[in-house]
Amino acid sequence: MIRRVLLGSFAGLMLCYLAAPLVVIFAVSITTTRFLKFPPIGFTFNWYVQFFSDANYMDAFWLSIRLAVVVTIIALLLGVTAGFVLSRGDFRGKNAISAAFLSPLVLPTVVFGVAMLQFATILGFAHSFISLVIGHIVVVLPYVVRTTLATLARFDTTTEEAALDLGARPFTTFMLVTLPQIKSGIIAGGLFAFIFSYSNVEISIFQSRDALITFPVKLFDYVQYSLDPLLAAASAITVLFAIAAIILLDLAVGIDKALSGR
Amino acid sequence: MMLTRGRAVLLLGTPCLVMLTCFGIPLGMMALSSLHSDEAGWTLANYGRIIGSAYFWGVLISTLRLAAIVTASTLILGYTLAYYIVFHLHNGIARRVVYAILITPLFTSAIVLSFGWILMLGPAGAINHWLRALGIIDRPLDLLYSWTGIAIALTYTMLPLMVLTISSVLQNIDRVLLAASADLGGGPFATFVAVTFPLSLPGVATGSLIVFALSVSAYVVPSIMSGGRHLVISMLIYQQYMVVFDFGFGAALSIVLLIVTFIIIGIYSVVLERSSSTAWEPT
Repeated sequence: MIRRVLLGSFAGLMLCYLAAPLVVIFAVSITTTRFLKFPPIGFTFNWYVQFFSDANYMDAFWLSIRLAVVVTIIALLLGVTAGFVLSRGDFRGKNAISAAFLSPLVLPTVVFGVAMLQFATILGFAHSFISLVIGHIVVVLPYVVRTTLATLARFDTTTEEAALDLGARPFTTFMLVTLPQIKSGIIAGGLFAFIFSYSNVEISIFQSRDALITFPVKLFDYVQYSLDPLLAAASAITVLFAIAAIILLDLAVGIDKALSGR
Repeated sequence: MMLTRGRAVLLLGTPCLVMLTCFGIPLGMMALSSLHSDEAGWTLANYGRIIGSAYFWGVLISTLRLAAIVTASTLILGYTLAYYIVFHLHNGIARRVVYAILITPLFTSAIVLSFGWILMLGPAGAINHWLRALGIIDRPLDLLYSWTGIAIALTYTMLPLMVLTISSVLQNIDRVLLAASADLGGGPFATFVAVTFPLSLPGVATGSLIVFALSVSAYVVPSIMSGGRHLVISMLIYQQYMVVFDFGFGAALSIVLLIVTFIIIGIYSVVLERSSSTAWEPT
């Protein structure tokens, strides 16, 4: 009994640790003072209004959204195909190829960021939307491959065989039988891809220029030079985005399932 | 549906080509440029400069020390939380809420999390406010822009990864083994030491690998939380590329960081092989 209480209160403390900085961001973003103040004084949505009418912030925000959408679509096309073949195919070097696709997860992202900068500079497309897209795809692709592999590992192949036996062509079978059954894994992978592209700094920071700054890089600049409640409002919006993605993930797949597929 | 060899090659070709041109080749080109300098042509001079620089060794040691501290603290905090979630949290809704709280930081940009920690740790920040309100301190603690502050924030960003990795291993432990240990007279503590913990070692190893590798190369959290007063390797690399514009030296530093990561992964695979060969597996 004592053990349970001790463990429970420790877990409660950990959850406070996890939630505290996020709660504090929300608290500070509603202060009526012009400087950061905790606890906040008064209550106002003024900083949010200012955020949504700030052209600089908005440009960066929409750039990040556009980028994340493009990256997610391409990463899904590439990642689901790769995951499917790696899970079903039987050929030499399969494990090595899987490891290569997953390797950006543990390799230093900053190192890849500077490598991408050098590569794009030499080929003459650095600091462009294309270079951002390419860099982001490599970083988010592992998440799509991994969720696809995990979903296919639990997949019952008898329905596929039935479709093939009944004369369906492999492509039709994939579209009508396989795809609907691995839908949850694809949605989870797509959400991971979107969120990790949307919040990436280590690639974007090397590809940004004056007219092409992603939202996180913009925040990165601000956080080093001007700390004010406007920054707190912008940050709070990002946290809301994360919460929305998690709710979506829970509705589409169920949180525990999406996470155990990791 | 099994794939024929031809189809597999055809389908896998495009993603592989993309990975090769967009990931392999850039890294390869960077490796080449680390062996080159404008004055001397092909040379090992960039690596010579790194090895001969006491400054670099200082930064490397601080980076490794930070990563070790962060890994140890995430492991202790994360293991306990994962254990609680798997063995004591049975209510479905509570579990989902806990998971949601756990992955919100994972889904939030590291900058926003760092900003949150600036608000927490600053002299007029939340922690000093609460500690003063409780009467524990009367002068504000100087946490912001210190190594302690960096470690607290970095531990924070890594904790969800550790918890998720360990809980997925704990989840898969066969409960029959725990019941058997209890039947044979093992108390909760003995069961944990003799059964649960050894069986969870692969999770501990994997979680520690991920956290250590990501901490060694973390850029955003250290550069914001240090306030420019402390350096880690990734910040040194950034400076070479964006401030000093010495691509060759920056590339050599990047390769060193890559090698450090490979060494960590190598140690991990040895440890994992040992732990899985000593752990008893039901047949």
